[in-house]
Amino acid sequence: MLELDNLSKHFGGVKAVDGVSLDVKKGEIFGLIGPNGSGKSTIVNLIAGLLLPTSGRIIVDTRDVTGLQSHALVALGVARTFQNIRLFGQLAVWQNLWVAENRDRQRRSQPVVPRWLNGFAADRERIGKLLEFSGLAHKRDDLAANLSFGEQRRLELARALAAEPKLLLLDEPAAGMNAEEIEELDRRIRAIRDSGVTVLLIEHHMELIMAVADRIAVLNFGQKIAEGRPAEVQAHPQVREAYLGKAA
Amino acid sequence: MIDLVQTLADGLLFGAIYALIGIGFTLVFGVMHKINMAYAAASLAGAYVGVVLLKLMALLPWLVIPLAALAGAALGLVVYYLCFRFIPLSAPLATLMSTVGMLLLIDEIVVHATAGMPVNYPTLVRGMVRMGELSLRADLIVCFLVAVVAMAALLHLLYRTRLGLATRAVSQQPVAAQLCGMSLGQVNAATFTISGALGGVAGALIGSAVGMLSPLIVAPLTVKGLIVTVIGGLGSIPGAIIAGLLVGAAENFFQFMRGVTERDIYVMLLLFVFLVFRPGGILGRDPAGT
Amino acid sequence: MDFYLGLLQIIGVHTLLGLSAYVVLLTGQVSLAQAGFMAIGAYVAAMLTVLAKWALLPAMLAGGSVAAVVACLVGFPALRVRGLILVVATLAFGEAVRLFFFNFDYQIAMGDIRVGPLGGEGFRQIRYFPENGWTTFQVMVFIWLVVGTVMAALWWMDRSRAGAVLRAVGEDEVAAQSCGINLTAVKVLAMTAGGFIAGLAGAIYAHYTTHIEQGNFNIMVATFAIAYPILGGLSNVFGTLAAVVFIQGFLVEGLRFLGDWRNLLFGALIVLAMNLRPGGLLDARTTAALQRLRILARDPAAWRRVMGQLASGAAFSGAHAAVRRRIESWRGSPGA
Repeated sequence: MLELDNLSKHFGGVKAVDGVSLDVKKGEIFGLIGPNGSGKSTIVNLIAGLLLPTSGRIIVDTRDVTGLQSHALVALGVARTFQNIRLFGQLAVWQNLWVAENRDRQRRSQPVVPRWLNGFAADRERIGKLLEFSGLAHKRDDLAANLSFGEQRRLELARALAAEPKLLLLDEPAAGMNAEEIEELDRRIRAIRDSGVTVLLIEHHMELIMAVADRIAVLNFGQKIAEGRPAEVQAHPQVREAYLGKAA
Repeated sequence: MIDLVQTLADGLLFGAIYALIGIGFTLVFGVMHKINMAYAAASLAGAYVGVVLLKLMALLPWLVIPLAALAGAALGLVVYYLCFRFIPLSAPLATLMSTVGMLLLIDEIVVHATAGMPVNYPTLVRGMVRMGELSLRADLIVCFLVAVVAMAALLHLLYRTRLGLATRAVSQQPVAAQLCGMSLGQVNAATFTISGALGGVAGALIGSAVGMLSPLIVAPLTVKGLIVTVIGGLGSIPGAIIAGLLVGAAENFFQFMRGVTERDIYVMLLLFVFLVFRPGGILGRDPAGT
Repeated sequence: MDFYLGLLQIIGVHTLLGLSAYVVLLTGQVSLAQAGFMAIGAYVAAMLTVLAKWALLPAMLAGGSVAAVVACLVGFPALRVRGLILVVATLAFGEAVRLFFFNFDYQIAMGDIRVGPLGGEGFRQIRYFPENGWTTFQVMVFIWLVVGTVMAALWWMDRSRAGAVLRAVGEDEVAAQSCGINLTAVKVLAMTAGGFIAGLAGAIYAHYTTHIEQGNFNIMVATFAIAYPILGGLSNVFGTLAAVVFIQGFLVEGLRFLGDWRNLLFGALIVLAMNLRPGGLLDARTTAALQRLRILARDPAAWRRVMGQLASGAAFSGAHAAVRRRIESWRGSPGA
């Protein structure tokens, strides 16, 4: 589903991402870990079209999408969440989903003119149902800025899912969560995968990623230093070195 | 040909004054990431007050410059308190609008105080200086030198004093600077005072170069000052200096080629050329990263 | 009577001007170019009715369209510059347009006089309304029909997905594009729409004043254009209307007796208003409060509850606490 072919991103002299190649299979949960500064978020930004690669290719579902802009990628089925939640605080909760909702579904829901004349009440209803899955339906009309942190995280995820993606990029979704919320997140990610979406998960929270990921790649200083099933990666000497340092 | 060089030289000398105004805008932007639209108006008002004080106290003409600097500094502080101090960070449009309101207010006060008539400004020096085939106005040369001294004083302040260090720290990381014990309010107030003083000097120099001050200068000066700031790069003082000289020379060049009425259109075009090819300005930061 | 009709005309045109800036402001672009677009609309429409003998409505639409095309062309390079640089760039553009018309001559002979724009002297004899027997009252009604149509269109847009998309772009461009929103399309469209509305405003202005010149479209007008939506609040179109009515009606005319001190008071008022109400007259909180009021009005039980609270003073303690918090924030915050 997602293939990174020798992807590199240089910022002047800094090689944030240095020749990384990945192959994420359809329907799997693929984890990406690494110490701070290893290039994880840069890779997400590259895949999502916010940054242009210095070299290499990005292939989504057999289609070369290198250099495409973010909105084009969303249309092709790639959605993402942000490490620091980026909601539209001045819009209502349901409006946050409204602007992100999959275009085809919007077009199919009602012919254009009745939608215009009806005052978009039907849109609001439909999105209200979407919100039920995230447990936010009762806050449908509240401003997104007024939600609690946990609710905001849920809304961020719901917004990404509203686009009905084939590939979902999650950038440190567990940051700032307590144990209960992380368990809930674990369940949600599995449910998303079960519904047919491929997930690329960037995380620092080791327990979560080891539990939920099918395969994991490890980055350090912009390069991939290990890849495999969680248990293999945990035992990998270079991975231990990257996180814990060399034995003195 | 010699006329062209002459006119470019004149423009370059006058451009030092534009550089001062540009520095003032860019200083406030660098520290607070906001534009003070009232800056040129406050600068000219400082120059007005300077000449009034000069006449009141019957002092030597050249003293109008430090007097204007003092008045400009005081006005800068007033602008800070009225337009920036109490408006929350989350409302950037509000500060923009309040400085526009301030611009109107200052402009109108000046118009009323002077009954709309231009005010004569003391010429600092008379005569011409010959340099080879060029004939440069002595007073423009003096303006240039005073401007250079003012810039040097500013750079000394910024790079060799604690206040300057604090200012630079705040412009880069306001939160961290506060955590290090710097008072944001004091630094910001100081920035406005310093830029106000600079503006007062610029206003006085304009007055003495042109021979008089009129509130009609406020709008074109604001626009030119902003153009200088943008071409030089928002937040870059060296950029503002270079851009000021560039705009001064370009202005005279366009006037020489196409006359006074069309001159400003070409200055705008110069700005647009920069915006298309170098939106960050000559020495500015990456505009997308701002 | 004519005086009040004239005032209503001015309020109408300025509302259009404010709305043209409103649309662009929603996307986060502060445009000081609206006066320039207004000038384009004015000159084009006037030239069409005077020199080419067009009817008013087609001439207006043509003026608006030309302004829209220019705005579209401005919109693309505007994408490359962020925030405050855009303010300067649009300011410079507006000035460039003004200076263009300062140097613009296009006169043709009609009968024994020459008509058309003449550089610094401007464009005189735009006599469409008098020549076709319009009364001041009819002109005023016409202006407000146009204003009403534009306001209705924008109000409806605000409630539609397009409005939410515009505001999303204005709030966070990175998040917006990650939701599939095409930033270029949205921002350029907003600028184009703003240009069209400003062009309409200019076209109307040219015809009811009968004489336009470059000085009518200067920096002051450009500033008024953004002042209205900012002072009125960006929550909905009525904020802009309220700001125009307040400023033009109350301040400019109502304080006429203060003579030349009006402008001074205007400046002071803006400074005061921005300090006291940074979100504008109809800011987000006020709009939310008004919405709550509307919902309450339909629910008798809730209404009784609120009345009970008011009676017991519970509501006022809340307001008291809010005022105290505001004062605390002044002491604590260094402002910007």
